[in-house]
Amino acid sequence: MAPENRIKILPKAVVCEESNLRGDITFSSGCVVHPSATVIADAGPVIIGENCIIEEYATIAHRLEPGAVWDVNNILSIGTHNVFEVGCQVEASRIGDKNVFESKCFVGRGVTISSGCVVGAGIKIHTSQLLPENTIVYGEQGLQREAIDKQGSQTLQIDFLRKVLPNYHHLRKPNYDPKKARSVV
Amino acid sequence: MSFMQPSPVKYACSCGILNPINKLFFCRHCPKLRCGFCVTHEIESHFCSNCLENIPSTEARHKKNCCANCFDCPCCQHTLSARASTVPVVRKTEEAKDTKDGGDSKGDATPPVPASSKPSAVPTTKKMYYLSCLSCRWTTRDVGIPDQGVATGTWPDNECLYQARFNALVEYFQAVVLQEKQEKMEFMRRKAPKQHKFPSLTDRTGLTVSLIRRQIGWNDKVPKAKAVITPAEATADVEGLPANIFTEPLNLRNVTTITQRHSQPADQPTAVGSLYPQRRSLWIKRSLRCRQCEHNLIKPEYHPTSIKYRIQLFASYHVPEVVMVRCEQPLLPGKSNAILLKLTNPTMYDMTIRLLTAAPPEDPQLSTEANRVMKDEPISSSPLLKAVGITLSRQNSTREVKREVVDLSNAEIVPLESEFVLSQRDDSKEFDEYVQLPTEEPKFIVWRKGHKVLLRLQFTPAEELPASTDVVLGFYMQYTYVNTVTNASEKKEPTTHALHSRVFITAGAIEPKAN
Repeated sequence: MAPENRIKILPKAVVCEESNLRGDITFSSGCVVHPSATVIADAGPVIIGENCIIEEYATIAHRLEPGAVWDVNNILSIGTHNVFEVGCQVEASRIGDKNVFESKCFVGRGVTISSGCVVGAGIKIHTSQLLPENTIVYGEQGLQREAIDKQGSQTLQIDFLRKVLPNYHHLRKPNYDPKKARSVV
Repeated sequence: MSFMQPSPVKYACSCGILNPINKLFFCRHCPKLRCGFCVTHEIESHFCSNCLENIPSTEARHKKNCCANCFDCPCCQHTLSARASTVPVVRKTEEAKDTKDGGDSKGDATPPVPASSKPSAVPTTKKMYYLSCLSCRWTTRDVGIPDQGVATGTWPDNECLYQARFNALVEYFQAVVLQEKQEKMEFMRRKAPKQHKFPSLTDRTGLTVSLIRRQIGWNDKVPKAKAVITPAEATADVEGLPANIFTEPLNLRNVTTITQRHSQPADQPTAVGSLYPQRRSLWIKRSLRCRQCEHNLIKPEYHPTSIKYRIQLFASYHVPEVVMVRCEQPLLPGKSNAILLKLTNPTMYDMTIRLLTAAPPEDPQLSTEANRVMKDEPISSSPLLKAVGITLSRQNSTREVKREVVDLSNAEIVPLESEFVLSQRDDSKEFDEYVQLPTEEPKFIVWRKGHKVLLRLQFTPAEELPASTDVVLGFYMQYTYVNTVTNASEKKEPTTHALHSRVFITAGAIEPKAN
């Protein structure tokens, strides 16, 4: 049985009101969620790490397998500093840190993304697999290569969005403060 | 209608190749249809498609047809772009003056006086550039190319291993070519002794320079170019495979793809670690020239940023366009049918059009004029070439060979009973309110609007056609063409020609039998 929408937003996270959120979702501090981004937590809770950017029309889905039911322990954990660019659809089973999902890419169920990976624009990954660290999937044929250089950090972009988004959009209020532990639900 | 798919209507070029009208050119001077196969292609200008810099042809050859500033990604062949990163530079006070003298690239660096007055170290930032691919995120840092202080111009060229050998070979063969040319000239000179203004003694006595030289006792010839290359030797000794190739698992990510190797032809690396940014190949602008009359058919504007033409003789500006609308009935072998064709007149003059089943007789005026031109100027009519006095030994001045177009048609068409007029193109008329004038039209014309006519052509596919074969209609379209340019300069007023071109229409496939 799926519970009510239980959305935890930690302080300093910027979550627009027009985003579509369903299920038990936790946004850690520093996250930026654009309007009309979608996060679906049907199969279990979704926990999004610090300083992630979820852009417009991006979809993060934790869907129910056929015949399965809501399971509190089936957590989709997304690490820190991930970027979900415009129009991407991510249904991966686990996502590490510092990954970039470029525009209109699709990551299917059962794919495990480690850290420092880039899924290129328009790339579709359907088969369940593990992307090793620093993998870059690019091009029409979905070639893979290993990045030696680290991907640039997104802090400037996050700071900018944190400044700009509240000027034009209604935000969801942060409703959970780990310092006042368990006083608020 | 035929967007992004092969056009069903094809025109036979004068060289006998079938093409849709948008791939054909029209030489106004001949006047004939030309296609890409029967014109000469000339390089108008070289340019880089990324930075749009125009590069003269000599410089382009010198730079091996590559742009000096732009690079392609060795990984995915995308264009690399320069990215800037700010690097903190900690300078000691003693060094400050040195770096200032040593050509600090930043103009706004702190002047030496305050720098020296400050305590131990002055943290300043400096912009450093690296190249990065926006598609596959390859960077020059991946292969250890150091960041550069300026964005363009200073990137190192990776010298290939065989560069010296290449240079030696190039030098050698250049010398060989030169020598051969000299020998040929010598031969020609000996064969046809040049008539001098004043008779020379050696000519009369039959003595040549070499003979005199020999008589004096010098050696016969100017020393020949030395052939100093060591020919490559094939060897049977090939290094064995390393032992670990059988034991260690292969990491495919470190192996380059075929495309990557081919994009770096000099060294063809096998490991991704030795991929280096490749200079971007130049693009060219082409001009096309009619082989018969040497006139330009297409001449683009010189500047790379412009996409316009100075001369553009596309067939679709001169030849009536035929568009297949539909067949009236399903196609069955031996069953009479009709096809609707839309004809459009692109020119500023009225056209009289006839659709014929056999080739019309040659326009007498045109053919005589053509003959006259042939007689007067057997090789060239281009004023420039005449002025220079080049007798054309170029490959392009071929005499036109008439080639018969293979008759592809497998249907019998009923020729139209009369000719009809396709009125001139008038863009302002498009916006006028259209009034149908009660004119007497031939029966086959369905409607007419401005410079467009829809007509109905009856045909019968051949009896023996099996199902699902394409029915091809072929006919001669004769049209009057008003030529505003003429070869003869004394005639100023435009002349009218009756031209014809063969048109083949793929009407569709024969329907499978009903039962």
